[in-house]
Amino acid sequence: MSKIFILFMNENTKTWKKFSTKLVIIIAILALFGALGLAKVVEYINSRYDSTFTTDNFKESTELEMKNLKETLEDPQISESEKEINKIQIEMCELELKYDASRYDESYWKGEILSRISELKILKEDEAQIANLISIIEQDDYSKYMDIKKQEEKQKLENEEITKEEYEDNIFILDLKAQNNIGKNKNEGYWRNALISQIQLCKRSLRAGIDYNSAQQKLLSSERRQELEDTIKINVYRLQNDIPPVDYAEENYRMFFETLAQMFTIAVIAIFAIMLAGGAISNEISTGTIKFWALTPNKRWKILTAKILSILYYLVVITLIISILTIVTANIFFNNNGIEYLYVKDGNVEKIGNVLYTIETYFAKLIPIVLFVLFALMLSTITRNTAAAVSFGIATYMGNGIVMTIINNYIKKDWIRFVPFNNLNIVEKIFPNIENPMQIMGESFATDTSLWFSLAVLGVCAILMLVTMYDSFNNRDIV
Amino acid sequence: MANTVLELKNISKSFGKKKVINNLSLEVKEGEIYGFLGPNGSGKTTTIKMILRLIDNDSGEIKVNGYDNKKQFEKAMECIGAIVENPDMYRYMSGLDNLKLHAKIRNVGMQRINEVLDLVELKDRAKEKVGKYSLGMKQRLGLALTLLHKPKVLILDEPTNGLDPAGIKKLRDILKEIAHKEGVAVFVSSHILTEMQLMCDKVAVIDNGNVVKIEEITKTESTIEKLEIAVKNVEKAIKILKEKFNIESKIEENKNIVVTIEVEKVPVVVKELAINDVEIKSVIPKEHTIEEIFFDATEGGKNE
Repeated sequence: MSKIFILFMNENTKTWKKFSTKLVIIIAILALFGALGLAKVVEYINSRYDSTFTTDNFKESTELEMKNLKETLEDPQISESEKEINKIQIEMCELELKYDASRYDESYWKGEILSRISELKILKEDEAQIANLISIIEQDDYSKYMDIKKQEEKQKLENEEITKEEYEDNIFILDLKAQNNIGKNKNEGYWRNALISQIQLCKRSLRAGIDYNSAQQKLLSSERRQELEDTIKINVYRLQNDIPPVDYAEENYRMFFETLAQMFTIAVIAIFAIMLAGGAISNEISTGTIKFWALTPNKRWKILTAKILSILYYLVVITLIISILTIVTANIFFNNNGIEYLYVKDGNVEKIGNVLYTIETYFAKLIPIVLFVLFALMLSTITRNTAAAVSFGIATYMGNGIVMTIINNYIKKDWIRFVPFNNLNIVEKIFPNIENPMQIMGESFATDTSLWFSLAVLGVCAILMLVTMYDSFNNRDIV
Repeated sequence: MANTVLELKNISKSFGKKKVINNLSLEVKEGEIYGFLGPNGSGKTTTIKMILRLIDNDSGEIKVNGYDNKKQFEKAMECIGAIVENPDMYRYMSGLDNLKLHAKIRNVGMQRINEVLDLVELKDRAKEKVGKYSLGMKQRLGLALTLLHKPKVLILDEPTNGLDPAGIKKLRDILKEIAHKEGVAVFVSSHILTEMQLMCDKVAVIDNGNVVKIEEITKTESTIEKLEIAVKNVEKAIKILKEKFNIESKIEENKNIVVTIEVEKVPVVVKELAINDVEIKSVIPKEHTIEEIFFDATEGGKNE
């Protein structure tokens, strides 16, 4: 063991003395600051031009609409029935101006009411109902409106328009809205409504037993069912505690920075590690320095083990440095909280703090990289050609997502889940309730396997690669 | 009687169908500089690689200081210091750093590093990057690396390749010192014959994977000298030699005369030739050289 340790220390000395190692650390740090710069630029641009859609400026367009509609009333070419509708629209515009709510903005409860009124008017339903709705707006009574909606649901149940489960789910959502005053105030952030509609979708999926979230609409597996239930719980927790989710946190530039920094630096680290691994054996053979080690009283497997350990050690060290740097930079340049990851444990929603979460995700992302490192190392040992090992390793690392998405689209067999490339999304499995935009983009269709299944597949894969490279390195001549 | 520290017994090796080494056996003793001669492609490097287990031999046994190099690999390797083909070091590191890497594995300290640096005369340039070294310096650094752990056997593959005459002499002096003073067995392969002549105590000539000759090189003064004499009038000189001294002489291609006579007779012969108006251009003693051994033994000689 001590011999392996000495060899390991020697490998580290060698790696550190290489110029490329220092270069990569610098590039990784530059990538980090690149992400910071990008986040800051976006923050600046968004603060100058308010890009988020608000309904404050709806009045202008409403007035314009009213003007256009009034012109059509005097137009002889337009039929009477159309004029009738236009008249209703004009009335609606007047109401909008009066109550300061757009009927197209249904996230605001008054807007929702106005939209219903316009519907009722066009259908020529009884005036009493309309008057009732208007009175609610005039009284500014949010909870009364919610009560009305609940009664309507009950009515639907009695008329057997909806099933009992559907009714319960709808009531659940209405209660949730009423309790958390969702839609009570104007422009309070669209994420609340997005969460509500996500809950609705989850409930619908659970009711039907079909996964409406995925593009293929497969039957729900028990794991997926659990995941949806957890999502609902987490969303409820978010609404109750006012924690916006990552992908809707438009104003949270710290989250933006952290996500971006992770993407950038992990790519740099991965490519560096693959380069290091791809050259580990073949470079030494081509420059002859492998003899430097092979002529010492150390069996070859010890030399290879020291090399593998050294690369892994570097991977861990650099990742640790970068993850801590990310947190420090984020703390310096952003004055709010970053991602606080929520998860469900024993039926309760728990929270991981930002620091821990950042480090954990960095290391979770390391697991697939280790596989690619072993792959490159295996190629390096077998082919003894650095160019082949490095280029093939990096190509596989970069291209596997796209290629597998295409393949998974064509092969709809059960065994496809045993393909190692379909099990690389470890991060999504450790943190299932984060919806990172990048993860959605790269979503593969064969991902609904459990974390342990994926780890087992990757583990078998790693062992096979290790056996191959040890066999090759131990038994082949060093010529 | 010196101990045998390197022993090869009936080694064979084939690459594919081609037999590269065929039943090779030899022994190297303590304190001996053992030359391993052979034309290019005769299997010198292959043999050395087999001793070092960079290549595995198909059959036969290799023992280093009594340890089998397969069964007791680590123990056997502890007795060996070797440079194969080129002295390969990490170019991006300084000579000293390269030595330190090795020193850790060999478990020796800074003191020994300084000792070997002194021995190979690299002390003042040890902190430069190896990439900037000349070939001679690299060779010497390579030697320093192999000497760190005081090996019992030093194996050098073509150590004089690419060295200038001064470098070769320096290397030779170092090797002689460690072999004769410290009792290290030095096993040197080369195809440069004059070099071997000056350096080795014993040579083995290998051709096509077979040892064709093993010969001690005697450094003692011989009583019989071979002379190569260049003269203007060859026939006259031969006649005089025949008549006065009863010496049979050979005529070389370049019309020089080669004679074999006792050492004390040399001045007399020269004087006699001079008296008889034979114009002597030069008289060169012709040593019993390795070259002859080599060409006698290898195909190179047969072809000529």
